[in-house]
Amino acid sequence: MRASLFITCYNDTLFPETGRAVVSLLERLGVELSFHPGQTCCGQMHANTGFRSEAYSQAKQFVRLFADAENVVIPSSSCVAMMRDQYPGLFETLGNESLRQDFAALLPRIFELSEFLIDKLGVDDVGAYFPHRVTYHASCHGLRGIHLGDRPFRLLGKVRGLDFAPLSTLELCCGFGGTFSVKNAEVSSAMLAVKLQDIVSTKAEYCTALDNSCLMHIGGAMHRQYAAMKTIHMAQILASTESTPMESFR
Amino acid sequence: MTVANTTREQVLDRIRKATSSVATGPSQLNEQYTAIPRPYVRKGALHGAAKQALLMERLRDYEAEVAESTQDNLGQAIGSMLAARDAGVLAVPGGVPPAWKIPQVDWRIDQGLSNAEIEKVDGVLTGAFCAIADSGTIVLHHTSCEGRRALTLLPDWHLCILFASQVVETLPEYFERARPAPKLVTWISGPSATADIEMTRIKGVHGPRQLSVILVNDEE
Amino acid sequence: MSQLAEHPVLDPAKAPPFPQAALPVLHNPQLRKNVAHAVDVIQLKRARLVAEKTDWQELRSAAAAIRTHTLENLDKYLEQFEARCTAAGGRVHWASDASEARRIILDILREDDARQVIKIKTMTSAEIQLNPFLESEGVKVFETDLAEIILQLGNEEPSHIVVPALHINRSQVREIFAKSMGRPELTDDPRELTAAARNYLRSKFLDIPTAISGANYLIADTGGVAIVESEGNGRMCLTLPKTLITLAGIEKVLPRFEDLEVMLQVLARSATGERMNPYTSLWNGVVPGDGPQNFHVVLLDNGRSSILAKTKERQTLRCIRCAACMNSCPVYRQTGGHAYGSVYPGPIGAILTPQLMQMRFAQSLPYASSLCGACYEVCPVKINIPEVLLELRSQVISQEKRSLRRLFDPLYLGLRAAGVIFSRAWIFRAAQRFGRIGAGLFTRKDGWIHSLPSVGGKWTQTRDLRGFPDKTFREWWRERAAHSSRESK
Repeated sequence: MRASLFITCYNDTLFPETGRAVVSLLERLGVELSFHPGQTCCGQMHANTGFRSEAYSQAKQFVRLFADAENVVIPSSSCVAMMRDQYPGLFETLGNESLRQDFAALLPRIFELSEFLIDKLGVDDVGAYFPHRVTYHASCHGLRGIHLGDRPFRLLGKVRGLDFAPLSTLELCCGFGGTFSVKNAEVSSAMLAVKLQDIVSTKAEYCTALDNSCLMHIGGAMHRQYAAMKTIHMAQILASTESTPMESFR
Repeated sequence: MTVANTTREQVLDRIRKATSSVATGPSQLNEQYTAIPRPYVRKGALHGAAKQALLMERLRDYEAEVAESTQDNLGQAIGSMLAARDAGVLAVPGGVPPAWKIPQVDWRIDQGLSNAEIEKVDGVLTGAFCAIADSGTIVLHHTSCEGRRALTLLPDWHLCILFASQVVETLPEYFERARPAPKLVTWISGPSATADIEMTRIKGVHGPRQLSVILVNDEE
Repeated sequence: MSQLAEHPVLDPAKAPPFPQAALPVLHNPQLRKNVAHAVDVIQLKRARLVAEKTDWQELRSAAAAIRTHTLENLDKYLEQFEARCTAAGGRVHWASDASEARRIILDILREDDARQVIKIKTMTSAEIQLNPFLESEGVKVFETDLAEIILQLGNEEPSHIVVPALHINRSQVREIFAKSMGRPELTDDPRELTAAARNYLRSKFLDIPTAISGANYLIADTGGVAIVESEGNGRMCLTLPKTLITLAGIEKVLPRFEDLEVMLQVLARSATGERMNPYTSLWNGVVPGDGPQNFHVVLLDNGRSSILAKTKERQTLRCIRCAACMNSCPVYRQTGGHAYGSVYPGPIGAILTPQLMQMRFAQSLPYASSLCGACYEVCPVKINIPEVLLELRSQVISQEKRSLRRLFDPLYLGLRAAGVIFSRAWIFRAAQRFGRIGAGLFTRKDGWIHSLPSVGGKWTQTRDLRGFPDKTFREWWRERAAHSSRESK
């Protein structure tokens, strides 16, 4: 099984440990990974703020780079949602027929990480060991955008040693929303306060999710408030084993 | 004479321009309308006693008083309800069956009762067109047996005589029966209520604060 | 009576931008508590009923399809409505904009020299600012919905389209009633307050011969009008007066009477979490001997036809004003309605208001959303609100790209710069290195950034940011590849 990794602009720059964990996890599962150095960004930030032509350039670039990939794995549900929800419209209005066709052919081969594990590799037990109390936040793009459903729970459920603490506000938006977090910083923080209160009440050691965007926002407030908790991308939990504990990806 | 470019023409013109790419011609309008898929539930699954039971449950949920009766003891049932409330003066539409107007009651037949006169009564007695069990809804088409609208609006108590054969389970089943479409309809699903103050549900704002239903079994 | 610092401005042409308007609300714990309580109650009730309705998704599909078909053929259905309503004794008027609608209504009132009117709650009348206009022309307006009375007597503004006074709690209502009704003995028991309103209104229903209403639905094939309500004040206003004026947006029309079998099932469940609201009334024109004998309908455009023209945005007009979107919105839950600066707040307001203004005002509203999608999930007519928000955002940016102001907007400049950075991998890599160095200047000993200038400061107001790692992912990958190729040699 071969797969090409689209790391995402923000994981590449700010959360490389998530990328390292993805590599460790997938290689352990026998996937031959490649990384195209020409990649930059999926265009979501621009598309969501209203800069369509800039978003289109990035979308075009993505399709060109990955047109021949057997599979594309992306550890970010918001980027996958961008591609499924907005790329077709961008190519329709700004692109040409050949680009539309290339994308249509590529689309079924694009997977968010948990989708790749469960749907493509057919596994929910990835052999992980993570002896900590963990709560899970469903990012809006994963939940309502690409409908991940129970995939994250199935994966976490098979992690040995993991003590799962459910979040009662599981489906509530954390308030990140991309540039919303700065354009409407106060409202964003008010929404985060509600979410954080619930997360902290689970007494978990870690809050996990499939998007570092939400986790950056949640974790940023956790750190500011000296909450006795940390955030961690699920890839890092799934990559952890007795011999390669979480620290190996730092 | 020049065609006046009235607002009507301007608005319609804007609408036509706005939808020119998707609109159909008048002949295809009906076709397109009929082609709208309607995969929702049309017919209910309940019959007979089960359907009546659902209606009564829903009526009681919103604190309507419900009594059952046969055709033969309908007069008695009406009498009991009136006696329980000590109600002696009742408004009634002109087309109500004589058997309903039991003796020893001051029946004010509506042949143009004034609002002041309607307000003085202890309650109003009417029939209904239909009842929808799923939502506990009583439907009035304001015929001569159901009365004009003010008659069931101003008194504080509405006593409605409903027949089992008038009960349907679902809203689509009501629309099946309501052909041709009526000129006046009031759908009643509970006494008036408001939740405007802190979402606290308060019943009986305007309109009858109490609803009583006698469900007459006419299906055996 | 209001605990807000200033009276909220619900005129989109004058209201402050959303982030600014939200601030006083965020500092008002009472208001936030009232809003959160209200939306939680409705959401819970709605969820229970939706769960029990086995054909809920099918109803949504049908409702969306009926509304879409109607909008695509709006002219024909409006013409049909007009013909049938007129044949049934009603008089139909057309208004291009708010000012024309106000004039038409005033002229009708002048025909009878009406100096007082009773009103059923209608957001459309608030949209055209009818009440202040009528008052200035010597007509006294009496709202008859409990929420609208609270707002009118308390000089407050609506903050929700179904429960407009949800931001006001019982003791605030008590104060308003005690003062304006001259009833200092009133307690804050909602039952007592409601009874006070009932008494206050009774004589008005019986004595005032002119009423103004909105409409939930206009039925094209019968010329009928349907109004959905809970309190009974609607029935009073629709039945007792001599003259009734119904104001309705042109999008309110449905093709046939039986289409109500879908719409009534989804509306009550979505709006108030009930299988059916207490009272729904329908009437065709004038019925001799029953109800108002002088009946007028005022059809309002006011920007709707321009929304109709846009393919992606047309779905905005499917809206049946149930407010399920704002009840489910995590942004609305924190800010309530006034922050949106419009009588239409929440997610639907964020797309409807700027469009009714033809994108000349309210440009901050499409950004008043984290795009979480909860609204789309609950909308009974399946309006893809996030999709329309994104469409409007791109229109706002097109406007911004032509304005001089953009040169002073750090976020705008940052995004243009980011566009260049993402255009080539080598520029991206350079930016990553540069960013790492720059961020290093702000990174403290704990490895975190606690404070940033300019736009970054909006982040660090309430959140820390972890410092840039020493190595990006791609640098690590490159090293690993080089290392393993060395090893294999």
